[in-house]
This record gives sequence, structure tokens and C-alpha cells, in this order.
Amino acid sequence: MEKSTEHSNKKSFLKEDVKDGISKHHNKYLGTKIPEGYFMKSKISILDKIKEDILIEESKKTKKQLVFWMQPQFKFMAAATLVFILSLTVWLQNMNKTNAINETNLEFLVFSDDVLLESLLVDESNLDEFANVILFNEILVKAELSEQKIDNLVLDNLMLGDSLLDNYIEDGLIETIFL
Amino acid sequence: MSKDAELVKKLKDSKLKDSAFSELLDIYQERLYWHIRKIVVTHENADDVLQNTFIRIYKSIQNFQEKSSLHTWMYRIAYNESIRFLDKNKKKDYDNIDAISESNLEVLFEDEYFDGDEIQKKLTKIINKFSVKQKRVFQMKYFDDLSFRKISEILEVSESTLKSTYYAAVKIIEEKILL
Repeated sequence: MEKSTEHSNKKSFLKEDVKDGISKHHNKYLGTKIPEGYFMKSKISILDKIKEDILIEESKKTKKQLVFWMQPQFKFMAAATLVFILSLTVWLQNMNKTNAINETNLEFLVFSDDVLLESLLVDESNLDEFANVILFNEILVKAELSEQKIDNLVLDNLMLGDSLLDNYIEDGLIETIFL
Repeated sequence: MSKDAELVKKLKDSKLKDSAFSELLDIYQERLYWHIRKIVVTHENADDVLQNTFIRIYKSIQNFQEKSSLHTWMYRIAYNESIRFLDKNKKKDYDNIDAISESNLEVLFEDEYFDGDEIQKKLTKIINKFSVKQKRVFQMKYFDDLSFRKISEILEVSESTLKSTYYAAVKIIEEKILL
């Protein structure tokens, strides 16, 4: 009550400056107070909390570092390796195609020089069909020719043999062989 | 270079940061506590918010661009943390965040760290009935002992407006207290 009387008697109390510190000023005019030694304890508590937070953040960072595949360097390396493997696969596939073409061309060269020139004029989509036709024809022709040669050889041999065995062979036998 | 500017420079230097932060606590802890206490009412709440405020200051000091003074910047952080605290605790009556509601006045008067007499309770009730703006200006000037220039910087209101608001508040209090 003394405090109240003091206040009411002080007509200009609101014109007073904060002389004794903010806490005392608040207590004097609003009645609010704080525990003794509060600011010292609070300071220590704030500094401890900050240290604790820093430690937690650092441990989080360390955990992140332990997961090595999550590291940016590793990500770049993995990406580069993947790109290299893909490039190598594509390159090797192209190499096989080139060899296949070369092999086909060699076969054409074996059969005929004209075939190679003709193949240049054939559309890509019809190339397989063209190749089949050429191969088929060439094989058939060569087979036919080689068969004829064999036949001729057999006949020549027979003729030659027969000439040596003139005495033993009758004219009828020759006719029989030719038929 | 002003004392605050020098302190900011140290706070941004990783080697000097901890000692500078301890110095910062010595200078501003009490001021910020009372600024927070008037918003969140009880000592327990103010203690929590004060800790959060300083942790936020510590973590974001590197982003402080020095467009305003250090004091103004910290005051804003303290205010935002107080609002966040009230919001978190479901006290979403935004019109009354600054103007403590009648129920909150009861909480204040029953707080362990309140020992106000009748005149102090009366003053608190009168201030509580001010508009949000008038209340903030009066409290910052009278209880937090800030200059009009500093308040103008924090609230972004002209000094002349602040002066007229403050003196109108003082007149109301004097009339009602001295009745």
C-alpha cells in the first residue's frame, strides 16, 4: 500500500527516466519481477543450448559424410562411369554392324565385281533381299557349273579308259554310258 | 565504427564469434527479455522465447545485412519469436497479441513472478485497453527505454507520429491513475 500511495502522490511519475535498470523499472511500475540471478543463469543456458545445437548439426554432417555414395564427388564419378559404359556399348554395336557389312561386301566381291557396284544403287531397305537373290543366283550358277565340270571329267576319264580297253569294250557299251 | 558495428564484425568472424556473442548477451539480454515478457505475459514463457530468440540471432547473424541497427534487427527477431510462440500455443487472437486479453491479465496477476499492488494492476489494465499501436509505442518508450528515433526505426513510423501517440497515452494514464 505504501507503494501505491507513493505512486499516486507522484504526479509526474511517468516522466521519470529508467535510472535503476529496466528490470527494477518494470517491477516498480508493473509489478513484474524475475528470479534472482536469472540473467546469469539464462546466459549460461543459452550458450549451452547453442553448443548443443552446433554438436547436433556437426554429427548430422558427419553422418552424411559416412554415407559415401551420397557424396557429390561419388555422384559425379558414378554418372561419368555410366555415360562411359553407355558410349562404349553404342560404339561396340556400331563396330559389329560395320564388320557385318564388310563381310557381305567381301562375299559379293568373291562372286562378282558387278554385284558390288549394283549394291550401291540398291535402296537400304531392299538390301537384304538383294543380297539373298544375288547369293542364291551365284550359288546356283556355280553349283551348276561345277556339276557340269564334274560330269565332263567323268566322261573324259571314261572315254580315255575306254580307248585303252578298245579290245574289251563293245560299241554298245559306250552308247549305254552316254544314255 | 560504432560499438554495435564492431560487435557485428566480431560476430561474423568465426574465430571471434563465441566471445562476441557472450558480449552481445551481456548487453541485450535484459532488454530483449522485457520486450518479450510484455508480449508473452509470464516469466516461464518469456524464458523460452528469449532462448529461441538468441539461438536464432546466433544462427542468422551471417545474414544480417546491417541495413538497420543491430538493436532494431534483434528487436524484430524477438517480436517475431514471441508471435510464433503465441501462435504455437494456439493463442491466435491476433487483435489481442499485443493487447493482453482479460484472461491473460488474470494469468499475469497470478504469475509467480508478479507482485504488483493495486496501482500497478490498475496501470497494467489501463495499458491493456490501449490500441495495439499505442500500447507498443508506450511500452517501448517508457518501459524499454528506447529513443523515439529507435522506435521509429523498429515500427517504421515517423517520429512525430510516435511522439503524439506516446504523449496521448501518458495523458490518459496520468488522468486515470491520479483520479
